[in-house]
Amino acid sequence: MLRPRIAAPQDFAGGLFLIAIGLGALWASSGLGMGTLRAMGPGMLPKSLAVMVAGLGVLLLLTSLRVEGPALDRWSLRGLIFVLLGACLFALTIRGSDLPFGFTLPAIGLIAAGPLVAIVSAFASPETKWGEVLLFAAFMTALCAGIFKYALGLPIPLAPWLLGY
Amino acid sequence: MDLFSNLALGFGVALSLKNLALCFTGCFIGTLIGVLPGVGPIATIAMLLPITFGIDPVGALIMLAGIYYGAQYGGSTTAILVNIPGEATSVVTTLDGHQMAKQGRAGVALGISAIGSFIAGSVATVLIAALGAPLTRMALLFGPAEYFSLMVMGLCFAVVLARGSILKAIAMILLGLLFSTIGTDLETGQERMTFGFAPLSDGLDFAVLAMGIFGFAEVIKNLENPETRDVVRQKVGRLLPNLAEMKQSAMPIVRGTFLGSALGILPGNGAVLGPFASYTLEKKLAKDSSRFGRGAIEGVAGPESANNAGAQTSFIPLLTLGIPPNAVMALMVGAMTIHGVIPGPQVMTKNPQLFWGMIASMWIGNLMLLIINLPLIGLWVKLLKVPYRLMFPAILLFCCIGIYSINNSPVDVAMTAFFGLFGYALIKFGFEPAPLLLGYVLGRLLEEKMRQALIISRGSFMTFVERPISAGLLVVAVIVLVVALLPSIQKKRDVVFTE
Repeated sequence: MLRPRIAAPQDFAGGLFLIAIGLGALWASSGLGMGTLRAMGPGMLPKSLAVMVAGLGVLLLLTSLRVEGPALDRWSLRGLIFVLLGACLFALTIRGSDLPFGFTLPAIGLIAAGPLVAIVSAFASPETKWGEVLLFAAFMTALCAGIFKYALGLPIPLAPWLLGY
Repeated sequence: MDLFSNLALGFGVALSLKNLALCFTGCFIGTLIGVLPGVGPIATIAMLLPITFGIDPVGALIMLAGIYYGAQYGGSTTAILVNIPGEATSVVTTLDGHQMAKQGRAGVALGISAIGSFIAGSVATVLIAALGAPLTRMALLFGPAEYFSLMVMGLCFAVVLARGSILKAIAMILLGLLFSTIGTDLETGQERMTFGFAPLSDGLDFAVLAMGIFGFAEVIKNLENPETRDVVRQKVGRLLPNLAEMKQSAMPIVRGTFLGSALGILPGNGAVLGPFASYTLEKKLAKDSSRFGRGAIEGVAGPESANNAGAQTSFIPLLTLGIPPNAVMALMVGAMTIHGVIPGPQVMTKNPQLFWGMIASMWIGNLMLLIINLPLIGLWVKLLKVPYRLMFPAILLFCCIGIYSINNSPVDVAMTAFFGLFGYALIKFGFEPAPLLLGYVLGRLLEEKMRQALIISRGSFMTFVERPISAGLLVVAVIVLVVALLPSIQKKRDVVFTE
């Protein structure tokens, strides 16, 4: 038996992606009223758009079976994980936060969250040299603190545990 | 002469010491960030938005406009020196600009690019000033139906101007529109698709979406490829072109300026097409077209002028109709709203100081780019030699601080990370994200105008085709889409974008 061959794997995956988003949006907006054309309800546009997105997904999926196209790209998980982890850690620690199950993260302010972003995200590159990253992280954080906090006076917490702001 | 008295008013505002300083600072830091490889104007503006919060509206917008031009010029610098285009519009510059740099003529390439941009910027400034008043008057004739059709037309243009498959571009537009419905419905007050998550009830912040897709996702994508940046080792050389080079570039600059200005006015990000069109035109007109791709100065002068002219005339739809034609202008809307200015036809009448001051500052900004960048090229070359492994943690740090500062909200940073993941998935599935942003930008206004139009017409869709202006706009939209779908044009379109 011949295994069905997909001519354009990238488009096939893209089609699935669109269908998933469309169906997800349809589910998320299921409680919203459609209204009438004369008085559009809150659900009219989201629902119609969700259907159209999913529909285009189906179309893309079908064409991908026949028309030749590019293969799927490999995902680089290392870059993805550390870059986004760095940003999430910044979000969680800049003002502190409560996590599920009673854990709390302290508010460490820009002085510590800044280097944290730089160092965690530096794991994303295989070319990282740790000495220069540490130095550079300290330098950039000091620079940002100077610009954003002191020169511009933005209310970003600097080091609540040390300076009180 | 209304035009001149208006411009005089504008220059009076823009030439105040404080506004000059803001314009200068904006141009300088805009270039500084824009030079970083992989950081285009959208990410630059989103990152730097918070620094304008403490300034009065006129000053803030002057500074933001300065940041925008700076980022554009920084992108060209990177394109010429390192062969990395910061954004779609400077792709063309890499073709001949980088070749010139390899021949030791980087200075001349940067010089002619600055001079061309300045000339283009000056023409575009006058054009905006001249078209501002009549277009504003026209905008007052627009009802909800016309606005709706105009936006539909803009979105159709965006589909045609996107690279790659038309089907995928349409999907991106619809996805953008879909995202714009997240949050509280303005008409009924009902929460839509927020999953009970409180930070979503105001809708997605545009800066969050843009920064996730154009900041984080870009960084992750760049990390995939091992560093192959070859900053030109040759001498930068003299900056000012000699007489023969000026002569060669004069007509390309003029043609580029007009092409770019005309395309920039189109709603739906026509500005991206300017450099491509100009390059193709110059290549066609050249006596010896084989020089192109090997360091032809016309191939830098024309597209760079078109680029800058388009960047500037794309302010026209925003300032006169209140419709942002691209993602950068959408960030401008965000900035204006924060300062309590609602973009649209009423800005010019209610807030002439702001309107004309901003227009005058555009010209001053272009002059400043010329003045600050020519002596600073050495600095940019040094900055470009910093390896990406050090640059990307710094870019991420800037992004985090920038996003946090817009609303003082840590949740925004986490959501940006989420959209980084989303943007990366889009790249991997071969979708171009620019139309998504445009769809998002126009979504709310589109829904509002559609509702209003349908209320007035008592639920009849015929209103969009019965009103002459609206029907005309829709006809243009349909023609554009049909033409783009014709097989022969589609082939040509591929050629234009792959060249």
